[in-house]
Amino acid sequence: MTNLKMENSAALEAWLKQATHHLSAASVSKVRTEIQEHYESALEYAQGGGATAEEADCAAVAALGDAKAASRQYRKVLLTSGEARLLREASWEIRAVCSRPWLRWLFLIPVAGLCAGIAFTEHGETQTGWLLLLGMAGLSLLLAAPFLPIYTPARGRLFRCVRWAWLVAVLALACGPNFLAQSWMFFVLAWPIAWVEWTQISLRRKLPVAEWPKQLYL
Amino acid sequence: MNLRGTLPTLILEAIEREPNHGYSIAQRIKKRSRGVLDFKEGTLYPALHKLENEGLVTSYEGAEKGRPRRYYRITEAGLAVLANDRAEWRKVSGAVNLILGEA
Repeated sequence: MTNLKMENSAALEAWLKQATHHLSAASVSKVRTEIQEHYESALEYAQGGGATAEEADCAAVAALGDAKAASRQYRKVLLTSGEARLLREASWEIRAVCSRPWLRWLFLIPVAGLCAGIAFTEHGETQTGWLLLLGMAGLSLLLAAPFLPIYTPARGRLFRCVRWAWLVAVLALACGPNFLAQSWMFFVLAWPIAWVEWTQISLRRKLPVAEWPKQLYL
Repeated sequence: MNLRGTLPTLILEAIEREPNHGYSIAQRIKKRSRGVLDFKEGTLYPALHKLENEGLVTSYEGAEKGRPRRYYRITEAGLAVLANDRAEWRKVSGAVNLILGEA
């Protein structure tokens, strides 16, 4: 009898291991706690109805269903280990930028670029001038992003729209009339941004707004 | 019976009057549907987390018979969504009844 009980407890452990696969440590802890509580209630209810400990144990694990299906659903709503790592790294980057005031001198690069853009425009090289002006204006925005007051979802959406519009405009200006023919370049350049954007969409869905770190708004 | 898509609404209904913990929510749904709506209980918590992320429910630590339990409470936004889902369900089920009831 004892052996059977241990085997069933191992079944719950196996279920938990499979259901929490790929989840972050905090998510695993959350799932283990809630499923353990659920399991205990199920055991108590079944035993109250006259089932033996072994029967109750079997029924409680069976009622949880397919662990793989639960794992798929958990990964849609809780942070995975990869997402948790991404959040940690991005938080570190933001802290590093904000805690080093000398990094603000990097703004001199776009400022120099803007001056060069004006100079080019005045000397008749309009396309190069405008490209520099637009490119450096966008770069200034990207560099300034961690310091800007973007801490509501609406402001975050506006900032992201501006960023995408800027990227398209710079590429359109760089390619000139051949923009459509060279649109593959846009996809190649936008791919890393699109990947980060996709990951951030997933993170925004999984975390309540109150828990969003700064980089999720950007 | 397949509960796909309706589980969040049923969860909201189960905690409409008072906060409840996961096991109790699952049993309430099964009992109130007289066993017709059966679902795997492992899928209940992902649905609860989704509702929590959407701000439709909140959770807090409570205790039952001296044991810690996480209780889920419906929010104002959750009540509004439930009212909307109810109205939509009545409309759809009424339309299906009109069609199938004639056969």
